[in-house]
Amino acid sequence: MTLHVTVELVNVGKNYNCKTVFQGVNALIGPGRCLGITGPNGSGKTTLLNLIAGIEQPSEGYICMRGTQGEIKHREIVGYVGMVSPQIRFYDAMTGVENIMFFSYCSRRNCNVKQVQEVCRKVGLGGCSHQLVSTYSTGMKQRLKLAIVLLLQPALWLLDEPSSNLDASGKELVEESMTRALQDGATVIVATNEGWESRHASEQITLI
Amino acid sequence: MLVNKLPLFNTVWIVFVKEVLCEYRTGYALATLVMFALVTLSSIGMSIAGIPLSSELTSVLLWVIIFFCAMAGLGRTFIEEEETGTVFTLRLYFHYQGIILGKMLYNITLLVGITCLILPLFTIFLQVEFPSWGALLPVLLLGDIGIGVVSTLMAAILKSAMGKHSLFTILTFPIVLPQFLSAINATSAVLSGRGPTISEILAMLGYDSIMILAGYMFFEFIWHE
Repeated sequence: MTLHVTVELVNVGKNYNCKTVFQGVNALIGPGRCLGITGPNGSGKTTLLNLIAGIEQPSEGYICMRGTQGEIKHREIVGYVGMVSPQIRFYDAMTGVENIMFFSYCSRRNCNVKQVQEVCRKVGLGGCSHQLVSTYSTGMKQRLKLAIVLLLQPALWLLDEPSSNLDASGKELVEESMTRALQDGATVIVATNEGWESRHASEQITLI
Repeated sequence: MLVNKLPLFNTVWIVFVKEVLCEYRTGYALATLVMFALVTLSSIGMSIAGIPLSSELTSVLLWVIIFFCAMAGLGRTFIEEEETGTVFTLRLYFHYQGIILGKMLYNITLLVGITCLILPLFTIFLQVEFPSWGALLPVLLLGDIGIGVVSTLMAAILKSAMGKHSLFTILTFPIVLPQFLSAINATSAVLSGRGPTISEILAMLGYDSIMILAGYMFFEFIWHE
């Protein structure tokens, strides 16, 4: 891990049409630290993660991201972010390995099949990495999302209920991955209502 | 900037290969295009049944078939990404310029491929003879590029719209009309034996270049909308 990212949320708010999802969110989170976002269903946890990922724009306030070489502009975020989210979808007509290679090539990593197979083995998809994603269960797709993040080793991890649909070994894998990422200096932001997922969090945002 | 270390060409190529791979395994767009081409050609061929057509009418028929083939299949590129939800993952991990250029390249290749299928069948069904294939091929290629590029851009703009499938043809036609008319005139000139003028070819080339450049420059706004 050579990249570090600091994320600052300044008075961030989001409206859809006339409905305010949340407003006045402030936070500062740096490398090796974890920010937990909690709140009831519909409070905007996923929306806030999407704002940080640059997929949506805030209606109020701003999000500032700084790397080792200064401020990261909106169009440059792609190379810094890895995400596990229910909104992430894969190409059903491609295998697990092909999906990982496609998204990692296009993000920033030139990886080979051996590296991809290794990360698939690590997340428990070793035996089915060459199967079409259309044959995967929901839990296997969740592991595939984690595999991409593990391969990319991004400076900013955005985790939206990362252990949903996972069995006990999958939850253990998420826990290990978060611990390792924080040790490596990644900035981790996790949106969850599971106590154990947010136990690494040094900062908390509660959306209502 | 990390993303820029990856040459744009590589990203374009990766998107193109992904599109070809998915199409090879599913065959949705290709099947639609081929079926549309065959049904239209056989219908026209049977109804005309050997009646000699003017060069103008023949070139109009050829380009109407190519245009509606494009409308039947090329819109899938972005609309399918939206419908299956993969557009989210692309936005997260992808540099936008690679996406638009890769998808343009794929749509142009698909349309050129289908034109290669249509052309011999068109000559057989309508009993048409092209005096100069050398003059016809650049016209077809430039026309296909224009339709392919505009279709890709319109699919990107309409990917989240309600009624996107019907809007796609309605909104693409006026934008592609200048190239459509140029292609018809140039093809008619080939059929009449005089061949297209340099200014006709340059006009088609200019249209294609402007549309590719516009797509490259403005896709960021479409993508993040």
